[in-house]
Order: sequence, then C-alpha cells, then structure tokens
Amino acid sequence: MATTPAPAPATRRRTGGTRERQSTHEGFLVHRSGRWIKISATLAAALILLYIFVPLPPQHFGSSWLGYTLGTVGALLILWLTMLGMRKRAITPGGWSLKAWTSAHVWLGVLLIVVGTLHSGFAFGWNVHTLAWALMMIVIVSGIFGVTAYATLPRALSANRYDAEGAITEKQMIEALRSLDRQLHDAAQPLDPECAHLVGRSLEQDPFTGSIVNRLTGRYPQDETRKAAAELRRLRAHRPRLADDPLDKVDALLTRKEAMLARMRRHLRLKGWLQAWLYVHVPMTFALIAALSAHIVSVFFYW
Amino acid sequence: MSFVVRQIALKSSGEEIVRRSVVEAAELVIGRDASSGIHLPDLAVDPRHARIRAIDADTLLIESIGDQPFTVNGRSTSQTELEIDIGAELAFGGHRITLAREAESGLPAFTVRRVEAVSESAEAIDLGSAYTLQKLLPGKRLSAWGFAALMLIAFLAVPIWSWATYQPLALHKDARRPAGLHGDTAWSSGTLSTAHKNLGGDCQACHVQAFVAVRDNACMTCHKTDAHQHIADGGRLLKARGEPTGFAGFQRAVASAFNKPAGRCVDCHTEHEGAGAMPATRQQFCTDCHDGMKSRLSDTKIADAADFGTAHPQFRPMLVTGMQGDKPLLQRAVWSGNLRENTGLKFTHGQHLSKTNGVAQMVRRRAGEFAAGDALGCKDCHQTDSGGARYKPVEMEKACQSCHALTFDEIGGTFRTLRHGEPEQVVADLRAAFRGGTPPRPASLSGMARRIPGNAAMQATATDYARAVHFYPMQADQAVAQVFSKGGMCYDCHNVGRNGGAGTAGFTVQKVAQNGRYYNKGWFDHKDHRKSDCATCHVKAATSNDADAVLIPGLEGPGGCRSCHVGEGGAKLASATVKEPVASGCAMCHEYHMDSGEPWKPADKRKKPALLTATWGAGLHKPRHPATQR
Repeated sequence: MATTPAPAPATRRRTGGTRERQSTHEGFLVHRSGRWIKISATLAAALILLYIFVPLPPQHFGSSWLGYTLGTVGALLILWLTMLGMRKRAITPGGWSLKAWTSAHVWLGVLLIVVGTLHSGFAFGWNVHTLAWALMMIVIVSGIFGVTAYATLPRALSANRYDAEGAITEKQMIEALRSLDRQLHDAAQPLDPECAHLVGRSLEQDPFTGSIVNRLTGRYPQDETRKAAAELRRLRAHRPRLADDPLDKVDALLTRKEAMLARMRRHLRLKGWLQAWLYVHVPMTFALIAALSAHIVSVFFYW
Repeated sequence: MSFVVRQIALKSSGEEIVRRSVVEAAELVIGRDASSGIHLPDLAVDPRHARIRAIDADTLLIESIGDQPFTVNGRSTSQTELEIDIGAELAFGGHRITLAREAESGLPAFTVRRVEAVSESAEAIDLGSAYTLQKLLPGKRLSAWGFAALMLIAFLAVPIWSWATYQPLALHKDARRPAGLHGDTAWSSGTLSTAHKNLGGDCQACHVQAFVAVRDNACMTCHKTDAHQHIADGGRLLKARGEPTGFAGFQRAVASAFNKPAGRCVDCHTEHEGAGAMPATRQQFCTDCHDGMKSRLSDTKIADAADFGTAHPQFRPMLVTGMQGDKPLLQRAVWSGNLRENTGLKFTHGQHLSKTNGVAQMVRRRAGEFAAGDALGCKDCHQTDSGGARYKPVEMEKACQSCHALTFDEIGGTFRTLRHGEPEQVVADLRAAFRGGTPPRPASLSGMARRIPGNAAMQATATDYARAVHFYPMQADQAVAQVFSKGGMCYDCHNVGRNGGAGTAGFTVQKVAQNGRYYNKGWFDHKDHRKSDCATCHVKAATSNDADAVLIPGLEGPGGCRSCHVGEGGAKLASATVKEPVASGCAMCHEYHMDSGEPWKPADKRKKPALLTATWGAGLHKPRHPATQR
C-alpha cells in the first residue's frame, strides 16, 4: 500500500540510478498487507499446536475428533479452492475481488498441506487414503510452482522480447520468420539441388515444431535451420570464394533466421513454463476430488 | 513443336492471374533455372529437372534430366508418356502442372500452379493457440475428467464390486476369498496385526455390511471360545460406564449419529495399525468405568480404581487359613505388613538366609552344592514353575533333605531313612527296626572268654556294651515318640498333634499348604522381575523367622509395587519415591477378558527370560546321602 513515496535520505543524491521505483501495485501474494499469509500462518501454527498438545489416541489419528474435524475442514477447503476456476470466469462486482480470492486461494492452499498432513496423522501406506493425500500434495506443489513461475518468468519474458529496436510481439515474431523465409526462398533459387534441398528443409520445418520436452527445455536437436547453416558452411569450406556467391546471402539469412528462432523458442519456453503447471494443477485437482470422494466413501462404507 | 505455358499466380484477394506464353522448342525443360521453359521457383525442384518432347502429334514423352523423379497422376516416376487428349497432372515440389490440349490453338498447354506455400511459416498460423501448449498436451478438461473417472473406477467402483462379490463369505469362520488382488484392499488404512494377518484381503470378514460399523458378531465368528465376557450382565457394564457428559457426550452423539455405537470389541481392539502385535489397550478404557464406579454402581464389591500410581485400592491377597481335608481353605484379606496365614509348617527364613550362623557355615563347607558359596539363597529352595511366572511348592526331598536328613539306621553301609509324608510308614519302620532287641555284641566279648583281671581294654568294652545294652531303645514306641516330639525329626518342621490313630501311635502331622498364588485378580509375573533381587520386594524374608508370616509385598511400603510402578502416564503419589519408574497401565496386570492365564499384552521387545533357577540334577545342591555329614 505504498501510495506515497517515502522521502529519500537527505544524504543520498537523487539520481536516476539510485532512485527507488515506487509502485502502487500490490501483487496477489501480499494482497492487503499479506492478510491471507498471516491468516494461514496463524491457522497452521494453531493446528500444529492442537495436534501436539490435545490428548488423543496414538493410533488412528484420522478417526479421532480432531482428525475428523481436520478431514472435514480439509475436504471443504479443497472444494472451495477448486472454485477459483469458476470464480475467475465470473465477473462479479463487490467486496471479494478476484485478487483477494486468488490471495486466499494461494495461502489457504498452502495451509492445506498442514491440514491434510495432520489429518493423516503421518500414517502413510499404499492405499486410497494416502493416494488422496499424495494427489493433494501434487496439486499444492504444482500450485506453488505456478506462483513461483508467475512471480519470476514474466520479467524474463519481457527481457527476451526487448532488443535494440524495441519490443517484438508474438505476431511480429511470426512475420519476421515469414519474411526471412521468403528471402531465403528467393536467395536459394540459384543454388544447386543439394544446397537448395538443405534450405528447403529449413523452410518446410514448422517454426512451432517440437514436443512438450523440446518446448520446455528449449532444446531442438532436430532443427533444420541450424543443420542447413552448418551443412552449407561445411560444403562451402573448400570452395573457392566468388565475388557474388549466392551462398553468402543464404548463409546470412540462415544466421538471422536461427537467431530469430532462438528468440522465439526462448519465448515459447518461458510461456510453456507459465502454462505447463496448470496442466498438472487442474487435472490433478479433479483426480484429487475423485480420490477424496473414494476416500470418504470408503471410510464410511467399511465403517 | 510449340507448347503453351500458363503460369497462374494468386492475388492477395484470392483472384487468379494467368500469364500465357508459347514456347517454341524441340523440348520443354522443367526446372528451377530461370531459362527453363517451365520455370518453377521451387527449392525442391532441380535447376533442370525434367524435359518434355513430342513423340507424335498426340503423345509426349516426359523424362527426368537428373536422377530426381517427379509425380505423374499421383505416381512417382522418372519417365513416362503423356497422351495430350487425355491430359495429365504433374507435380514438382510444391507446384502442380496440368496438361491439356488448348481448344483455340490445339497445342498442348501446361497450366502451372503453386499449391504449397513458400515455407511452413507462411501457412496460416493461429496466434491464439500457437504460443500455448494446447497442441502438445492433452487438454486440461479431457485429462481432468479422465483422471477423475480413473480414480472413481479404480478406487470406488472396483472396491464396491469386490465387496459385493464376496459378501456371502461374511460371518463364516473359514470362508476365504481366492488368492489375488481384491479391489477393496486399496481401502485398507494400514496393515492388519499379526493376530489377524491370516484374514489378509478378506475385508468382509469384519466389514460385513456397507455403512455399518464393525459389529461384535463379526469378531465372535472366530472368537467363540477365547473372548470371555468381562461380566455376564451387560446392563451393569453400561451402568458402570455411565453416560458421557460434556465434550465426550458430544463425541458420543456424533458417533451415534454416524451409526457407530459404543461398547463394541473394536472400541478397544483397534485394527489396521500396522503389522506386529495389536497395540495394548489404553488405561482410559478401564478407568472410564472403574474410576468412581461406586457412585454409578452402588452395589459393586469392587473398589474404585483409576491410575495405578495414584488411585489403586490396596491389594487383597488370597491367604491360606487352614485345611479342610486335603484342600486348603482360602480367604482374601486386605494386605498389611503383618498378615499371617496357616501353612502348617515351621520354617525360619531369617535363620536359613543368615550369612553368619551354622547354616551359612554348612553351606561354606559344602562348596559347589549351593547357588552361592557363603550362605543359602532363595533359589536353593524356591524353584519357578515351567512358565516362570510363579514358584513351585517347595519339596522336602529336593529342598530340605540334603541337610535335614531322615536317616535312622545303617545296615552294612546302607542308610535307612524314614519316609517323608507318610507317618504310618514312619511308625511302622521304626517299630520294625526296634523289634531285634539288643545291639550287636562285640566279637571280643565272646561268650566263652573269661574275664582276665588287668585287661582294662576288655573291661572297658564290656562296660560300654553293658551301657549300650542299657540305653538301646528296646521299646520301639520310645523311638516313635522321640521322632514326633520336640527335638525329633518331624517336629522340627511340622505341627504335630496328638489326636491320631493307632497306625501313627496317636500322633498327627498337620497337612502342609503352600500358597501358589496370592493375587488372583491381577497377574504378577516373576519372569518380568527377574532382574531384581528377591529381597527388593520380599523385604522381610531375610529377617522373618515365622513360616506363617506373609512375605508378599503389597501396594506400598518397602518393597511394595509402587516402589517402581507408576501410573500409565507416570503419575505417582507425593509420598512415593520412585527411582526407576515403570509406567504401568491397567493392562499390565489386569485383563478385560478374564481367564486364569496371563493377561494379553503386546510382545515384550526385551530378551527372552533367562532361566531363573538352576535346574535340578545339574550337580548343584544334589540331595546327598546324609550319612556323609555325620
């Protein structure tokens, strides 16, 4: 809530380099001065103290009153946390802003680690009960990963898009590649079949090619552009230099295309990480709700 | 020969532009080279890829110039003939060339059209999805439903199906599911205890009905004989427990609302706690009823008990009060330091355990025969029974006779002994022994020899013999009386009366009763106390010289149980000083399902008990022939 800039110390020279950037932006993690992190931390501490100090049977903690209470709270919390998916699609006026909701989602989600694990009484095994716990942990850990990604990757994403000529948009990245491809196509016309074939393969390769592994690692071993550039250089190595060798132009264009592809792939990698965690978080949430239902039904079925 | 070439280009609006040219040449070259008759600016096409020439007016021949093939009517070839009137479709890289006879001029016309974009990037790209993972991963929605369905099928539908399939096996003692994996085992919250390990995946053995908590009838299917009732009247049990109040009452109400009645076997015997023995029952299950039970069950004879360390009634040992025929009369009495019972024996523990008197001296003389070399020890007489929990009755022949011999005569180096425990035989043996009359006459006193004056030795012999004859118990009854009277062999240890029949010359020996177990309601196990010295608990044994004094320790005082044992949670009275506290829940000594045996408890993790006492016949304290000590 830093709306008014704090006065800088008098001794410090107010130059652009040392001036602190003041921002009115408050992220969802620290929404309302970290209201939800405080609430969650307090609840977690209270639950841990309860677990330690309330006299309860040493076995089968889950079926003690505190165990059942934690289980019920945990299950309801899971359902509420899942509701973020509905809440974010609904444009609603009023007090519960989406930011507040997200802040609560994140910190109550972290609190769920304490609730769920205490509910288990640290009794784990190869059964549906531990399965539900494990799925819950997968969802929470993927969520924590997502929050971390949202906190760090956009900066890298921006940095990648900026260069000396300013920012480049996703559309412009494609346009740049199209332009380079057209130029390559024209420049390669005089080449012999072998070299033309190499350039052709670069043109025929989809710039968005690659599996999820290529996308997330940013490694593309099957990249035809790099192969073409390398092969053409190898072929040219022992040829006499001509004043107007069409290969010169092709080589320069391939180098530029490689650079452009590298930048786009960095962009794809960062965007991929920003999105990939949701492909775990969301399906695992539904798997968790199903396993949780099985867990609850099984407990009462074999009461 | 003339050929018509029609190059078709597309405007950005999609409109076609046709550029017609006529090539006059003997052959028409198709290639990327700009000089070609049909120029294809396509990197997949060789500079001079193929050539076409006329065979006759209606037929053309097309063949590759290099070794690169091309496609004619969808089939790859490097040489083929083309009928102009029939026409053909040729494909070179990303270009398609259609052959037809031009209607106006009658010449073969090649219509050239680019069908593939210059590059892949030039194709239409959906900006909305290209930069996402949509095409690389299965959709979130699809996988969400897929995983959820998988979970519901594997962990809900399949287990319920398993349960339904084997439902008829429930409540049948030996009915077992076939071996294999059963879906509902995935619901097991933990491994079964060792006792129930053989149930394995037979979930329905206990979980009989769906949504009905495990009932006692499932337990009783197998435990028909070994699950004794705590008390026969279940109503009294409920009354003793009383109605829970406060938070406990709330918990009870919630449990009832969820169809989980109280007082079931499984309340105490919790399962699925992991392999190994079932965990010990907690003290609370006993004290729920026994703490303050008098207030709820006013007519009970059982004193209130809660924590052993602070709220346990004084012990009430079972004492021998006398004999009724061969059976001892037993009666419980509240323990106190000077309890007595009627054993019928005379024994001086203090004298026998002394380290300084004649008993100790005798032990020292007979080195190697007793457990300790300097004095008698407890185990020289007291031997544990086979289980090690209690002591066998002391047997005279094994424990006493090596010192307290019953020898009365020697004939030819063989000692004759009285029969222990059979007074009639004792009397008969003595009477028989004294039937003979006189002691044997020394050979030197032959009847024929005359007395020679001055032979002092012979005179002494004669005098001794005369005295021997005089004092020899000519009367058997005299010997019998001696044995049964003060100073006699029997009288030393037994209570002798004078109301016997003729067979025992009027004497009676009181039947001996040795108390094998003082505490019948609780379980005391000597085996578990083997590391302690006997005197730690039996503190008066070293000084007591009264065989009837009860040397069993009580709850408190020197040697009392509370000297070491504290409550389950370590509670003890303020007055008690405990050096090494042993947390003791109710189940350590008491059993819910009472029988004569040891209370059930989880296996002791300590080592197996060492033998408490040396076994008989191992050379130690062997009953010797008493004559050797004379």
